[in-house]
Amino acid sequence: MNTIVVTGATSGIGLESVRLLAGEGHHILAVGHCQANCEKADRDIKAGLPDTKIEWYAADLMQQREVLRVAGEIKTWLDTHGDGRLYALINNAGCARSWYMTTEDGYEQQFALNYLSGFLLTHELLPYLIAAKGRVIMTSSQSHKGIKVHWNDVMLSRHYNPLTAYKQSKLCDVLFAQGLNDLYRAKGLHAYAVDPGLVNTDIGNKTAGIVDLVWKMRKRHGVSPTVPAKTYHYLCNQASAPTALYYYLCKAQKHSREVTKENAARLFALSERLCGVRYETEAAS
Amino acid sequence: MNVVITGAAGGLGRAMANECGRRGYNMFLTDVNGNGLLSIQRGLERQFGVTVATKACDLTDPDSVDEMLAVIDQNGIRFDMLLNIAGLDFEGGFMERERERVVKIVTLNDAATLRITHAILERRRQGGHFIAVFVSSLASMFPMPLKATYAASKRFLLDFATSLRQELKDQDANVLALCPGGMVTRDDTIEAIAAQGFWGDVTTNPLELVARKTLDRALSGKAIYVPGGLNRVLSFAGKLIPRSLVAAVIHWRWNQTQEKWLKKENCMAR
Repeated sequence: MNTIVVTGATSGIGLESVRLLAGEGHHILAVGHCQANCEKADRDIKAGLPDTKIEWYAADLMQQREVLRVAGEIKTWLDTHGDGRLYALINNAGCARSWYMTTEDGYEQQFALNYLSGFLLTHELLPYLIAAKGRVIMTSSQSHKGIKVHWNDVMLSRHYNPLTAYKQSKLCDVLFAQGLNDLYRAKGLHAYAVDPGLVNTDIGNKTAGIVDLVWKMRKRHGVSPTVPAKTYHYLCNQASAPTALYYYLCKAQKHSREVTKENAARLFALSERLCGVRYETEAAS
Repeated sequence: MNVVITGAAGGLGRAMANECGRRGYNMFLTDVNGNGLLSIQRGLERQFGVTVATKACDLTDPDSVDEMLAVIDQNGIRFDMLLNIAGLDFEGGFMERERERVVKIVTLNDAATLRITHAILERRRQGGHFIAVFVSSLASMFPMPLKATYAASKRFLLDFATSLRQELKDQDANVLALCPGGMVTRDDTIEAIAAQGFWGDVTTNPLELVARKTLDRALSGKAIYVPGGLNRVLSFAGKLIPRSLVAAVIHWRWNQTQEKWLKKENCMAR
Protein backbone atom coordinates (compact mmCIF):
# COMPACT_ATOMS: atom_id res chain seq x y z
CA MET A 1 0.00 0.00 0.00
CA ASN A 2 0.92 3.66 -0.11
CA THR A 3 2.83 5.98 2.16
CA ILE A 4 0.92 8.97 3.51
CA VAL A 5 2.10 11.84 5.76
CA VAL A 6 -0.47 13.32 8.17
CA THR A 7 0.22 16.33 10.43
CA GLY A 8 -1.83 17.16 13.51
CA ALA A 9 -2.25 13.39 13.71
CA THR A 10 -2.65 12.89 17.45
CA SER A 11 -6.19 14.15 17.92
CA GLY A 12 -9.39 15.18 16.19
CA ILE A 13 -9.59 15.04 12.40
CA GLY A 14 -5.97 13.97 11.98
CA LEU A 15 -6.27 11.05 14.39
CA GLU A 16 -9.45 9.72 12.75
CA SER A 17 -7.96 10.08 9.27
CA VAL A 18 -4.89 8.12 10.38
CA ARG A 19 -7.12 5.44 11.88
CA LEU A 20 -9.14 5.14 8.66
CA LEU A 21 -6.19 5.17 6.26
CA ALA A 22 -3.88 3.00 8.36
CA GLY A 23 -6.75 0.55 8.88
CA GLU A 24 -6.81 0.01 5.13
CA GLY A 25 -3.16 -0.85 5.05
CA HIS A 26 -1.61 2.51 4.09
CA HIS A 27 1.72 3.18 5.78
CA ILE A 28 1.29 6.40 7.76
CA LEU A 29 4.01 8.84 8.79
CA ALA A 30 2.19 10.76 11.50
CA VAL A 31 3.36 14.08 12.97
CA GLY A 32 2.18 15.22 16.42
CA HIS A 33 3.01 18.16 18.64
CA CYS A 34 4.83 16.27 21.38
CA GLN A 35 6.05 12.77 22.20
CA ALA A 36 3.42 12.17 24.89
CA ASN A 37 0.58 12.95 22.45
CA CYS A 38 2.11 10.64 19.83
CA GLU A 39 2.37 7.73 22.29
CA LYS A 40 -1.20 8.23 23.46
CA ALA A 41 -2.55 8.32 19.89
CA ASP A 42 -0.52 5.24 18.96
CA ARG A 43 -1.98 3.27 21.88
CA ASP A 44 -5.45 4.50 20.97
CA ILE A 45 -5.22 3.29 17.35
CA LYS A 46 -3.32 0.06 18.09
CA ALA A 47 -5.95 -0.93 20.67
CA GLY A 48 -8.46 -1.43 17.85
CA LEU A 49 -6.10 -2.04 14.93
CA PRO A 50 -2.97 -3.81 16.25
CA ASP A 51 -1.43 -4.49 12.81
CA THR A 52 -1.39 -0.96 11.44
CA LYS A 53 1.87 0.57 10.21
CA ILE A 54 2.39 4.03 11.69
CA GLU A 55 5.66 5.93 12.29
CA TRP A 56 5.32 8.78 14.76
CA TYR A 57 7.24 12.07 14.68
CA ALA A 58 7.04 14.79 17.33
CA ALA A 59 7.49 18.32 15.99
CA ASP A 60 6.29 21.81 16.86
CA LEU A 61 5.40 22.69 13.26
CA MET A 62 4.74 26.32 14.14
CA GLN A 63 8.52 26.81 14.19
CA GLN A 64 10.18 26.66 10.76
CA ARG A 65 13.29 24.94 12.07
CA GLU A 66 11.05 22.17 13.39
CA VAL A 67 9.32 21.78 10.00
CA LEU A 68 12.72 21.45 8.34
CA ARG A 69 13.97 18.97 10.96
CA VAL A 70 10.96 16.66 10.71
CA ALA A 71 10.94 16.96 6.90
CA GLY A 72 14.54 15.73 6.96
CA GLU A 73 13.57 12.75 9.10
CA ILE A 74 10.63 11.91 6.82
CA LYS A 75 12.83 12.14 3.72
CA THR A 76 15.36 9.80 5.32
CA TRP A 77 12.58 7.32 6.05
CA LEU A 78 11.22 7.56 2.48
CA ASP A 79 14.71 6.99 1.07
CA THR A 80 15.60 4.06 3.29
CA HIS A 81 12.29 2.29 4.03
CA GLY A 82 10.05 3.54 1.26
CA ASP A 83 10.34 3.61 -2.53
CA GLY A 84 11.15 7.33 -2.71
CA ARG A 85 7.53 8.13 -3.38
CA LEU A 86 5.02 9.90 -1.15
CA TYR A 87 1.47 9.18 -2.16
CA ALA A 88 -0.27 11.86 -0.11
CA LEU A 89 0.51 14.71 2.30
CA ILE A 90 -2.29 15.83 4.62
CA ASN A 91 -1.45 19.26 6.07
CA ASN A 92 -3.91 19.22 8.92
CA ALA A 93 -2.08 20.63 11.98
CA GLY A 94 -3.82 23.76 13.21
CA CYS A 95 -4.50 25.93 16.21
CA ALA A 96 -6.78 28.71 17.39
CA ARG A 97 -5.54 31.65 19.46
CA SER A 98 -7.31 34.40 21.33
CA TRP A 99 -4.30 36.74 21.48
CA TYR A 100 -1.62 37.91 19.08
CA MET A 101 1.21 35.48 19.69
CA THR A 102 4.29 34.89 17.58
CA THR A 103 6.46 31.91 16.70
CA GLU A 104 10.24 31.86 17.13
CA ASP A 105 10.42 33.37 13.65
CA GLY A 106 8.23 36.26 14.83
CA TYR A 107 5.27 35.12 12.70
CA GLU A 108 1.66 35.19 13.91
CA GLN A 109 0.93 31.71 15.24
CA GLN A 110 -2.32 30.85 13.42
CA PHE A 111 -0.89 31.99 10.08
CA ALA A 112 2.36 30.14 10.80
CA LEU A 113 0.84 26.80 11.82
CA ASN A 114 -2.49 26.61 9.98
CA TYR A 115 -1.02 27.65 6.65
CA LEU A 116 2.71 28.41 6.38
CA SER A 117 3.96 25.17 7.97
CA GLY A 118 2.07 23.24 5.28
CA PHE A 119 3.57 25.42 2.57
CA LEU A 120 7.10 24.70 3.81
CA LEU A 121 6.56 20.98 4.49
CA THR A 122 5.06 20.52 1.01
CA HIS A 123 8.08 22.27 -0.49
CA GLU A 124 10.45 19.91 1.30
CA LEU A 125 8.52 16.77 0.26
CA LEU A 126 7.60 17.92 -3.27
CA PRO A 127 10.02 15.66 -5.23
CA TYR A 128 8.60 12.62 -3.44
CA LEU A 129 5.02 13.75 -4.09
CA ILE A 130 5.68 14.37 -7.78
CA ALA A 131 7.39 10.98 -8.11
CA ALA A 132 4.15 9.40 -6.90
CA LYS A 133 1.87 11.77 -8.85
CA GLY A 134 0.58 12.34 -5.35
CA ARG A 135 -2.03 14.40 -3.58
CA VAL A 136 -1.74 17.29 -1.11
CA ILE A 137 -4.70 17.95 1.16
CA MET A 138 -5.09 21.12 3.24
CA THR A 139 -7.49 21.34 6.17
CA SER A 140 -9.44 24.48 5.41
CA SER A 141 -12.83 25.57 6.71
CA GLN A 142 -16.11 27.10 5.64
CA SER A 143 -14.91 30.14 7.58
CA HIS A 144 -12.46 30.96 4.75
CA LYS A 145 -15.37 32.67 3.01
CA GLY A 146 -16.26 36.33 3.40
CA ILE A 147 -12.70 37.48 3.99
CA LYS A 148 -9.74 38.72 1.96
CA VAL A 149 -6.04 38.24 2.51
CA HIS A 150 -4.64 41.30 4.31
CA TRP A 151 -1.74 41.68 1.90
CA ASN A 152 -0.21 44.71 3.60
CA ASP A 153 -0.23 43.11 7.05
CA VAL A 154 -0.56 39.40 6.63
CA MET A 155 0.37 38.80 10.29
CA LEU A 156 -2.42 41.21 11.29
CA SER A 157 -0.24 42.98 13.85
CA ARG A 158 -2.39 46.09 13.32
CA HIS A 159 -5.90 45.72 14.81
CA TYR A 160 -5.40 42.04 15.58
CA ASN A 161 -8.59 40.03 15.63
CA PRO A 162 -7.93 36.36 16.46
CA LEU A 163 -10.97 35.08 14.55
CA THR A 164 -9.98 37.09 11.47
CA ALA A 165 -6.49 35.61 11.68
CA TYR A 166 -7.99 32.11 11.86
CA LYS A 167 -10.27 32.69 8.86
CA GLN A 168 -7.47 34.23 6.81
CA SER A 169 -5.22 31.23 7.52
CA LYS A 170 -7.96 28.95 6.20
CA LEU A 171 -8.37 31.08 3.07
CA CYS A 172 -4.61 30.80 2.56
CA ASP A 173 -4.98 27.00 2.70
CA VAL A 174 -7.40 27.06 -0.25
CA LEU A 175 -5.21 29.54 -2.13
CA PHE A 176 -2.18 27.30 -1.61
CA ALA A 177 -4.03 24.26 -2.99
CA GLN A 178 -5.02 26.38 -6.00
CA GLY A 179 -1.42 27.55 -6.44
CA LEU A 180 -0.07 24.00 -6.30
CA ASN A 181 -2.56 22.89 -8.94
CA ASP A 182 -1.62 25.82 -11.17
CA LEU A 183 2.06 24.90 -10.97
CA TYR A 184 2.10 21.11 -10.80
CA ARG A 185 -1.13 19.65 -12.19
CA ALA A 186 0.76 19.08 -15.44
CA LYS A 187 3.15 16.85 -13.50
CA GLY A 188 0.31 14.79 -12.09
CA LEU A 189 0.08 16.42 -8.65
CA HIS A 190 -3.38 17.15 -7.25
CA ALA A 191 -4.03 19.52 -4.36
CA TYR A 192 -7.25 19.89 -2.40
CA ALA A 193 -8.72 21.91 0.42
CA VAL A 194 -11.19 20.21 2.73
CA ASP A 195 -13.98 21.85 4.70
CA PRO A 196 -14.36 19.47 7.66
CA GLY A 197 -17.58 21.16 8.74
CA LEU A 198 -18.32 21.81 12.40
CA VAL A 199 -16.32 19.20 14.25
CA ASN A 200 -15.95 18.54 17.93
CA THR A 201 -12.15 18.46 18.41
CA ASP A 202 -9.58 19.96 20.78
CA ILE A 203 -9.14 23.10 18.68
CA GLY A 204 -9.81 26.31 20.57
CA ASN A 205 -9.10 24.72 23.94
CA LYS A 206 -6.28 27.16 24.55
CA THR A 207 -8.31 30.29 24.02
CA ALA A 208 -9.95 32.62 26.51
CA GLY A 209 -12.73 35.18 26.77
CA ILE A 210 -14.95 35.83 23.77
CA VAL A 211 -12.85 33.66 21.44
CA ASP A 212 -13.25 30.72 23.84
CA LEU A 213 -17.00 31.30 23.80
CA VAL A 214 -17.11 31.36 19.99
CA TRP A 215 -15.18 28.09 19.75
CA LYS A 216 -17.36 26.41 22.38
CA MET A 217 -20.53 27.47 20.50
CA ARG A 218 -19.06 26.34 17.18
CA LYS A 219 -18.14 22.95 18.57
CA ARG A 220 -21.34 22.34 20.53
CA HIS A 221 -23.20 21.25 17.43
CA GLY A 222 -20.08 19.68 15.94
CA VAL A 223 -19.99 16.20 14.51
CA SER A 224 -17.50 13.49 15.41
CA PRO A 225 -14.13 13.84 13.64
CA THR A 226 -14.82 10.46 12.02
CA VAL A 227 -17.17 12.32 9.64
CA PRO A 228 -14.62 14.63 7.97
CA ALA A 229 -12.05 11.80 8.05
CA LYS A 230 -14.16 10.14 5.33
CA THR A 231 -13.53 13.09 3.01
CA TYR A 232 -9.74 12.75 3.43
CA HIS A 233 -10.11 9.03 2.83
CA TYR A 234 -12.18 9.70 -0.29
CA LEU A 235 -9.62 12.14 -1.73
CA CYS A 236 -6.74 9.74 -1.05
CA ASN A 237 -8.46 6.60 -2.29
CA GLN A 238 -10.07 7.48 -5.63
CA ALA A 239 -8.03 5.65 -8.27
CA SER A 240 -8.55 8.52 -10.67
CA ALA A 241 -7.77 11.74 -8.78
CA PRO A 242 -10.80 14.00 -8.20
CA THR A 243 -10.37 17.23 -10.14
CA ALA A 244 -12.15 19.91 -8.09
CA LEU A 245 -10.39 22.08 -5.47
CA TYR A 246 -12.64 22.28 -2.42
CA TYR A 247 -14.49 19.38 -0.79
CA TYR A 248 -17.08 18.93 1.95
CA LEU A 249 -18.53 15.50 2.84
CA CYS A 250 -16.77 13.86 -0.14
CA LYS A 251 -18.39 16.31 -2.58
CA ALA A 252 -16.96 19.25 -4.48
CA GLN A 253 -18.26 22.55 -3.13
CA LYS A 254 -18.04 26.21 -4.07
CA HIS A 255 -15.17 28.08 -2.49
CA SER A 256 -14.66 31.80 -1.89
CA ARG A 257 -14.43 34.09 -4.91
CA GLU A 258 -11.15 35.32 -3.45
CA VAL A 259 -9.57 32.06 -4.63
CA THR A 260 -8.14 33.17 -7.97
CA LYS A 261 -4.98 32.34 -9.90
CA GLU A 262 -3.71 35.87 -9.24
CA ASN A 263 -4.20 35.70 -5.47
CA ALA A 264 -2.75 32.19 -5.39
CA ALA A 265 0.39 33.34 -7.21
CA ARG A 266 0.71 36.39 -4.96
CA LEU A 267 0.46 34.26 -1.81
CA PHE A 268 2.96 31.79 -3.26
CA ALA A 269 5.53 34.55 -3.79
CA LEU A 270 4.96 36.00 -0.31
CA SER A 271 5.21 32.57 1.32
CA GLU A 272 8.42 31.73 -0.53
CA ARG A 273 9.91 34.91 0.89
CA LEU A 274 8.67 34.15 4.43
CA CYS A 275 10.06 30.61 4.29
CA GLY A 276 13.26 31.43 2.41
CA VAL A 277 12.56 28.77 -0.24
CA ARG A 278 11.77 28.69 -3.95
CA TYR A 279 9.42 26.19 -5.58
CA GLU A 280 10.69 24.87 -8.92
CA THR A 281 8.44 26.49 -11.49
CA GLU A 282 9.54 25.00 -14.82
CA ALA A 283 6.22 23.11 -14.80
CA ALA A 284 4.36 26.40 -15.03
CA SER A 285 3.03 27.12 -18.46
CA MET B 1 17.70 54.18 13.22
CA ASN B 2 19.85 51.56 15.00
CA VAL B 3 18.08 49.77 17.85
CA VAL B 4 19.42 47.38 20.49
CA ILE B 5 16.85 44.91 21.85
CA THR B 6 17.66 42.64 24.80
CA GLY B 7 15.56 39.53 25.41
CA ALA B 8 14.78 39.66 21.70
CA ALA B 9 13.99 35.95 21.35
CA GLY B 10 11.16 36.09 23.91
CA GLY B 11 7.52 37.06 23.44
CA LEU B 12 7.64 40.81 24.12
CA GLY B 13 11.13 41.08 22.57
CA ARG B 14 9.90 39.53 19.30
CA ALA B 15 6.82 41.76 19.26
CA MET B 16 9.02 44.84 19.75
CA ALA B 17 11.42 43.63 17.06
CA ASN B 18 8.50 43.13 14.65
CA GLU B 19 7.30 46.65 15.39
CA CYS B 20 10.80 48.07 14.76
CA GLY B 21 11.04 46.03 11.54
CA ARG B 22 7.71 47.38 10.36
CA ARG B 23 9.09 50.89 10.90
CA GLY B 24 12.21 50.05 8.90
CA TYR B 25 14.65 50.28 11.82
CA ASN B 26 17.88 48.26 11.77
CA MET B 27 18.45 46.11 14.81
CA PHE B 28 21.09 44.55 17.02
CA LEU B 29 19.42 41.72 18.92
CA THR B 30 20.64 39.82 21.93
CA ASP B 31 19.28 37.01 24.10
CA VAL B 32 20.66 34.01 26.01
CA ASN B 33 18.83 31.78 23.51
CA GLY B 34 21.13 31.68 20.47
CA ASN B 35 18.87 29.50 18.29
CA GLY B 36 15.89 31.71 19.04
CA LEU B 37 17.97 34.74 17.95
CA LEU B 38 18.73 33.13 14.58
CA SER B 39 15.03 32.37 14.04
CA ILE B 40 13.81 35.88 14.80
CA GLN B 41 16.67 37.39 12.76
CA ARG B 42 15.67 35.37 9.68
CA GLY B 43 11.99 36.15 10.23
CA LEU B 44 12.63 39.91 10.45
CA GLU B 45 14.87 39.96 7.38
CA ARG B 46 12.29 38.00 5.38
CA GLN B 47 9.31 40.07 6.53
CA PHE B 48 10.74 43.56 6.42
CA GLY B 49 14.07 43.45 4.57
CA VAL B 50 15.78 45.33 7.41
CA THR B 51 19.38 44.77 8.54
CA VAL B 52 19.54 42.62 11.65
CA ALA B 53 22.67 41.66 13.59
CA THR B 54 22.62 39.28 16.55
CA LYS B 55 24.90 38.08 19.31
CA ALA B 56 23.91 35.59 21.98
CA CYS B 57 24.81 36.96 25.39
CA ASP B 58 24.19 36.29 29.07
CA LEU B 59 23.66 39.81 30.38
CA THR B 60 24.28 38.65 33.96
CA ASP B 61 27.85 37.69 33.00
CA PRO B 62 30.20 40.70 32.58
CA ASP B 63 32.59 38.70 30.36
CA SER B 64 29.77 37.68 28.04
CA VAL B 65 28.68 41.32 27.79
CA ASP B 66 32.28 42.40 27.06
CA GLU B 67 32.44 39.85 24.23
CA MET B 68 29.28 41.31 22.73
CA LEU B 69 30.56 44.87 23.09
CA ALA B 70 33.77 43.82 21.32
CA VAL B 71 31.69 42.68 18.33
CA ILE B 72 29.83 45.99 18.37
CA ASP B 73 33.04 48.00 18.54
CA GLN B 74 34.82 45.98 15.84
CA ASN B 75 32.01 46.93 13.51
CA GLY B 76 31.82 50.49 14.80
CA ILE B 77 28.07 50.27 15.38
CA ARG B 78 26.45 53.21 17.18
CA PHE B 79 22.89 53.30 18.48
CA ASP B 80 19.82 55.52 18.62
CA MET B 81 17.60 53.37 20.81
CA LEU B 82 17.84 50.74 23.54
CA LEU B 83 14.90 48.48 24.41
CA ASN B 84 15.63 46.69 27.70
CA ILE B 85 13.25 43.74 27.45
CA ALA B 86 15.23 40.91 29.09
CA GLY B 87 13.81 39.93 32.46
CA LEU B 88 12.45 36.97 34.38
CA ASP B 89 10.20 35.89 37.19
CA PHE B 90 9.65 32.83 39.32
CA GLU B 91 6.31 33.01 41.08
CA GLY B 92 5.75 31.77 44.59
CA GLY B 93 6.52 32.47 48.22
CA PHE B 94 10.00 33.82 49.01
CA MET B 95 10.97 30.86 51.19
CA GLU B 96 9.46 28.34 48.78
CA ARG B 97 11.93 29.25 46.04
CA GLU B 98 15.59 28.27 45.84
CA ARG B 99 17.93 30.96 47.16
CA GLU B 100 19.93 31.50 43.98
CA ARG B 101 16.84 31.55 41.78
CA VAL B 102 15.42 34.40 43.82
CA VAL B 103 18.70 36.31 43.65
CA LYS B 104 18.81 35.76 39.88
CA ILE B 105 15.62 37.82 39.48
CA VAL B 106 17.43 40.89 40.75
CA THR B 107 20.69 39.99 39.00
CA LEU B 108 18.99 39.96 35.60
CA ASN B 109 16.11 42.41 35.95
CA ASP B 110 18.18 45.11 37.67
CA ALA B 111 21.96 44.57 37.73
CA ALA B 112 22.24 43.27 34.17
CA THR B 113 19.91 45.99 32.88
CA LEU B 114 22.18 48.64 34.43
CA ARG B 115 25.23 46.99 32.86
CA ILE B 116 23.86 46.96 29.32
CA THR B 117 22.28 50.41 29.64
CA HIS B 118 25.60 51.94 30.71
CA ALA B 119 27.42 50.18 27.87
CA ILE B 120 24.94 51.21 25.17
CA LEU B 121 24.69 54.82 26.39
CA GLU B 122 28.47 54.98 25.94
CA ARG B 123 27.87 53.84 22.40
CA ARG B 124 25.02 56.16 21.45
CA ARG B 125 25.30 57.92 18.12
CA GLN B 126 26.95 61.29 18.56
CA GLY B 127 24.78 64.30 17.81
CA GLY B 128 21.59 62.24 17.57
CA HIS B 129 18.50 61.83 19.70
CA PHE B 130 18.55 58.75 21.96
CA ILE B 131 15.75 56.69 23.46
CA ALA B 132 15.94 54.12 26.26
CA VAL B 133 12.99 51.96 27.26
CA PHE B 134 12.81 49.96 30.48
CA VAL B 135 10.21 47.24 30.91
CA SER B 136 8.90 47.76 34.39
CA SER B 137 5.47 46.35 35.24
CA LEU B 138 2.07 47.12 36.67
CA ALA B 139 3.50 45.10 39.56
CA SER B 140 5.90 47.97 40.28
CA MET B 141 2.97 50.03 41.56
CA PHE B 142 2.22 47.75 44.51
CA PRO B 143 3.94 45.63 47.13
CA MET B 144 3.21 42.11 45.89
CA PRO B 145 3.33 39.16 48.28
CA LEU B 146 4.16 35.91 46.41
CA LYS B 147 5.74 38.01 43.66
CA ALA B 148 7.74 40.00 46.19
CA THR B 149 11.17 39.97 44.54
CA TYR B 150 9.80 40.45 41.05
CA ALA B 151 7.59 43.41 41.96
CA ALA B 152 10.43 45.07 43.90
CA SER B 153 12.86 44.52 41.00
CA LYS B 154 10.36 46.23 38.68
CA ARG B 155 9.93 49.11 41.16
CA PHE B 156 13.70 49.57 40.96
CA LEU B 157 13.46 49.92 37.18
CA LEU B 158 10.59 52.41 37.39
CA ASP B 159 12.43 54.67 39.84
CA PHE B 160 15.73 54.30 38.00
CA ALA B 161 14.12 55.16 34.65
CA THR B 162 12.45 58.24 36.12
CA SER B 163 15.75 59.49 37.56
CA LEU B 164 17.84 58.67 34.52
CA ARG B 165 15.33 60.52 32.35
CA GLN B 166 15.96 63.65 34.40
CA GLU B 167 19.75 63.22 34.19
CA LEU B 168 19.68 62.83 30.41
CA LYS B 169 17.05 65.47 29.68
CA ASP B 170 19.50 68.10 28.47
CA GLN B 171 21.49 65.54 26.48
CA ASP B 172 18.81 65.03 23.83
CA ALA B 173 17.63 61.70 25.23
CA ASN B 174 14.32 60.33 26.48
CA VAL B 175 13.78 57.47 28.91
CA LEU B 176 10.46 55.64 29.10
CA ALA B 177 9.27 53.12 31.68
CA LEU B 178 6.73 50.64 30.33
CA CYS B 179 4.41 49.24 33.03
CA PRO B 180 2.19 46.59 31.42
CA GLY B 181 -0.23 44.18 33.08
CA GLY B 182 -0.14 40.56 31.98
CA MET B 183 0.74 39.79 28.37
CA VAL B 184 0.27 36.54 26.53
CA THR B 185 3.79 35.69 25.46
CA ARG B 186 3.87 31.90 25.86
CA ASP B 187 1.41 28.99 25.97
CA ASP B 188 1.61 28.76 29.75
CA THR B 189 0.78 32.44 30.20
CA ILE B 190 -2.65 31.71 28.68
CA GLU B 191 -3.32 29.34 31.57
CA ALA B 192 -1.84 31.66 34.17
CA ILE B 193 -4.14 34.44 32.98
CA ALA B 194 -7.16 32.11 32.77
CA ALA B 195 -6.49 31.08 36.41
CA GLN B 196 -6.82 34.73 37.45
CA GLY B 197 -10.35 34.70 36.05
CA PHE B 198 -12.04 38.04 35.43
CA TRP B 199 -9.15 40.18 36.72
CA GLY B 200 -6.70 38.26 34.58
CA ASP B 201 -8.73 38.93 31.44
CA VAL B 202 -9.29 42.63 32.06
CA THR B 203 -5.72 43.51 33.08
CA THR B 204 -4.14 41.62 30.17
CA ASN B 205 -2.68 43.83 27.45
CA PRO B 206 -2.49 42.88 23.76
CA LEU B 207 1.18 42.35 22.94
CA GLU B 208 1.12 43.93 19.48
CA LEU B 209 -0.62 47.05 20.76
CA VAL B 210 1.80 47.48 23.67
CA ALA B 211 4.75 47.17 21.28
CA ARG B 212 3.41 49.84 18.93
CA LYS B 213 2.32 52.33 21.58
CA THR B 214 5.52 51.92 23.58
CA LEU B 215 7.55 53.10 20.59
CA ASP B 216 5.05 55.88 19.82
CA ARG B 217 5.22 57.19 23.39
CA ALA B 218 8.96 56.84 23.75
CA LEU B 219 9.42 58.79 20.50
CA SER B 220 7.05 61.54 21.62
CA GLY B 221 8.99 62.10 24.86
CA LYS B 222 6.71 60.44 27.43
CA ALA B 223 8.14 59.24 30.77
CA ILE B 224 5.85 56.36 31.63
CA TYR B 225 3.35 54.17 29.79
CA VAL B 226 0.74 52.08 31.62
CA PRO B 227 -1.21 50.24 28.90
CA GLY B 228 -4.96 49.85 29.40
CA GLY B 229 -7.49 52.15 31.08
CA LEU B 230 -8.23 49.82 33.97
CA ASN B 231 -4.53 49.32 34.64
CA ARG B 232 -4.11 53.10 34.88
CA VAL B 233 -6.93 53.22 37.43
CA LEU B 234 -5.33 50.39 39.41
CA SER B 235 -1.93 52.05 39.39
CA PHE B 236 -3.50 55.30 40.59
CA ALA B 237 -5.38 53.44 43.35
CA GLY B 238 -2.04 51.93 44.40
CA LYS B 239 -0.89 55.45 45.28
CA LEU B 240 -3.94 56.25 47.45
CA ILE B 241 -4.53 53.06 49.43
CA PRO B 242 -2.20 52.28 52.36
CA ARG B 243 0.54 49.90 51.17
CA SER B 244 -0.01 47.36 53.95
CA LEU B 245 -3.68 47.04 52.96
CA VAL B 246 -2.73 46.63 49.28
CA ALA B 247 -0.29 43.90 50.29
CA ALA B 248 -2.98 42.04 52.24
CA VAL B 249 -5.49 42.15 49.37
CA ILE B 250 -2.92 41.06 46.79
CA HIS B 251 -1.68 38.26 49.02
CA TRP B 252 -5.23 36.89 49.30
CA ARG B 253 -5.74 37.10 45.53
CA TRP B 254 -2.44 35.50 44.45
CA ASN B 255 -2.94 32.69 46.93
CA GLN B 256 -6.17 31.73 45.22
CA THR B 257 -4.77 32.12 41.71
CA GLN B 258 -1.59 30.17 42.29
CA GLU B 259 -3.42 27.28 43.89
CA LYS B 260 -5.46 27.01 40.71
CA TRP B 261 -2.77 27.04 38.10
CA LEU B 262 0.33 25.65 39.76
CA LYS B 263 -1.58 22.38 40.18
CA LYS B 264 -2.13 21.99 36.45
CA GLU B 265 0.18 19.60 34.61
CA ASN B 266 0.64 20.39 30.96
CA CYS B 267 2.19 18.26 28.24
CA MET B 268 2.43 21.22 25.89
CA ALA B 269 5.02 23.01 28.02
CA ARG B 270 8.17 23.66 26.04
